[in-house]
Amino acid sequence: MKLANLLKGIRLPRPPAAAPPVDLPAPEKVYLPLRQHRGAVAEAKVEPGEQVALGQVVGASEEFESATVQATVSGVVEAIVDTVDPAGQKVPAVVIKNDGADAWAEDSAMGESLTDPAGVKGTRPSHLLRRLREAGLVRAQVEGRPLHVDLSPPMAPQSYLYMTGIPVVRPVDTLIVSAVDADPPVCPNRSCLGQSIQELSVGVAALARISGAKRVILALPSGSDTAAIAAMAGPYEWEIASVSQTSYPFATDNFLVQSLTGREVPTPYGEPKDVGVVLQPMISAMDVGKVLMSGRPVIDRIFSVAGEVKNPQTFRVRLGTPISEVLAAAGGGPSRPGKIIVGGPMMGLAIFDPATPVTRETEGVFVQSAANVVAYADHPCIHCGRCVAACPVNLIPSELGKLCEFRMYEEAAYMDLMNCIECGCCAYVCPAKRPMVHFLRHGKTEVLAGRME
Amino acid sequence: MNENLLTVSTSPHILGRMSVRSMYLEYIIALAPALLVGLYYFGFPALITVLLTVASAAVSDFVASKIQKKPTTLGSLHIVCMGLMLGMILPPGAPWWLPVIGGALTVFLGISIFGGIGAYPMNPVLVAWVALYISWPESMNAYFEPQALGSGDDWTEAETLLMQLKGDISTLEMVEMGKLWLGQVPGYIGSTSTWALLVGGVYLIIRRIIPWQIPVGALLGAVAMALIATYTDPRILELGYEEFAANMNVVWFHLGAGGLMIAAFFLGPEPVSSPVTPWGTFLFGVGIGLMTIIVRTWGGLVDGAFYGVLLMNAANPLLDRIRPRVIGKVVSGA
Repeated sequence: MKLANLLKGIRLPRPPAAAPPVDLPAPEKVYLPLRQHRGAVAEAKVEPGEQVALGQVVGASEEFESATVQATVSGVVEAIVDTVDPAGQKVPAVVIKNDGADAWAEDSAMGESLTDPAGVKGTRPSHLLRRLREAGLVRAQVEGRPLHVDLSPPMAPQSYLYMTGIPVVRPVDTLIVSAVDADPPVCPNRSCLGQSIQELSVGVAALARISGAKRVILALPSGSDTAAIAAMAGPYEWEIASVSQTSYPFATDNFLVQSLTGREVPTPYGEPKDVGVVLQPMISAMDVGKVLMSGRPVIDRIFSVAGEVKNPQTFRVRLGTPISEVLAAAGGGPSRPGKIIVGGPMMGLAIFDPATPVTRETEGVFVQSAANVVAYADHPCIHCGRCVAACPVNLIPSELGKLCEFRMYEEAAYMDLMNCIECGCCAYVCPAKRPMVHFLRHGKTEVLAGRME
Repeated sequence: MNENLLTVSTSPHILGRMSVRSMYLEYIIALAPALLVGLYYFGFPALITVLLTVASAAVSDFVASKIQKKPTTLGSLHIVCMGLMLGMILPPGAPWWLPVIGGALTVFLGISIFGGIGAYPMNPVLVAWVALYISWPESMNAYFEPQALGSGDDWTEAETLLMQLKGDISTLEMVEMGKLWLGQVPGYIGSTSTWALLVGGVYLIIRRIIPWQIPVGALLGAVAMALIATYTDPRILELGYEEFAANMNVVWFHLGAGGLMIAAFFLGPEPVSSPVTPWGTFLFGVGIGLMTIIVRTWGGLVDGAFYGVLLMNAANPLLDRIRPRVIGKVVSGA
């Protein structure tokens, strides 16, 4: 934990203790969007009326940046309809009516089962990568990329780095598996901490094997019980690091890389891979382990429900379950719902349709009642500088907000608007309640649109 | 219309508790100790002066908002806080019309003419103060000898310590430092008690309402300049260093006397007119400290703290250009 992290960013209240995930029974119907990540939409491989079994491929694509979609219940394909993804975009989805049999497809087993890290080490990385791709795993994050894309070495030198003289292709030498939730009240990682240790060990070993990392760091939330993880990590010399959960946004990818390895991820277009680090959340590593151990695709997702529901809890949910059903299982939302936010309260996306299905890119929702929905104000900036003190990337948000408000987008870009990470600290501390993130996001979009012309 | 429609908006979906109103409320709370000490020592006339300033500022704001056809901003306490600060830097013996004009000047000349909160380039309190000081110097220098509340109504006019220092360097040796820091000296209503100002200022820093760089910079700048100024003073060179027994008194005297403390903790870091960048705020503070001592030692005026703040306010746009390095920014040719 660096001293600068104490002065920058914001302090969030300590999140309540997280209970292990609870299994949610399979729903009547699942909606399987054919795109559950950033990238191309998969083609439907089934027809309405067709009988499908658990794990049977219902959507696939030849595109590299695309993930296979499997049936997560057995039953009859009802229709292929349009649903919305968390970002509010239309996406076709396969609707399957559950027959309750939960029968696995005969060809769903892919390759032999690897049950320990030693076995993983003896397997070729390309073979492991192919199995992940067949399983269609996705980094659990809205607009996350398919795992096989995330783990592949960069395909071409990144031009912006090339032009600025930074070594372009750097071999990946470090793997960080983070069990810290970046946006605390939504805590899929923390509630799985200490669960399924074997899956985790296989998953971490596979991620290290695929990425080629020599050094493996497990980032665990400070103050949590890490004995089981430490016992697992010991024999393989995986390092364990403790990360604060309350100093936001220092558990997000780029800051974790910086505080754990000392390397600074170039922004705005860079990623941890550019500085030789691969970072994955713990639930991704557990999914990888599950795929390699069972030889079957993952049909459920750890999904955390936080905020104003009766029993905030983490569930193990079948992919494709509508979020409204998960909320009902958590005791139901407030009588007058205000916002349902996919992701956490600081960086999440408010959705407009409670029937949006749980997909591989969602990790939880935060629910707000209508009374607690925050109101931004049309107040002028009072130049108090609280946002400057809070901005974790050292921008001058007050100035940028004013420039973007008055449509001076290129001037804002000159003042490093594009380096904004949209963490929301500036809006959180603003006494005038200005919609800072809205201004900056809008400005970024305008700058990009202006440069395209 | 469906009652159960969901709201969609950008993140973040939770906000901190600080509002403009609560920010200025805390400012007022932080000013309270110094004001109360001032009222204790200067009694009823001081109370009238402060109340008149606040009332005048509030009425002026109401009139200004009517003229501009804008909703009044009194609810944000910003105007109240500004009026209070002006009242604290008026002399206790001021005639009744001085605070009234001062409050109006703060609002009209300092704030509304620029477009209200957030828009003015210089501290409106000091704009009004300087206008008053230039126009009515006699009234602005009507100081009283402090006396504890209820000990009689016979006010005696007095000179401030800084006035004495101009004439006689041995003031540095004779002054009772305890009295000076407690505020038992002639001076402006709310700026005499160094301890009370320090308590309020530290509270503001802890609450993260003002950046710590401004007061720290101002005090460091003042100490450095005070040492330089004193030890190059021809009067002391004549006396010889061995004969001059004040030494550390120089530091304590300059920190405690005049308007330095209120300028460093309240007037300088006033949110709207102070810079925002880390190094900008620090240099802003250092500038205030240097100006204070330069004017005290070589200037024609008695105290330079308020002029220092105004001068550094003018340098604001320059100071805000000293931006910190953006994390992750790719620098060409690095």
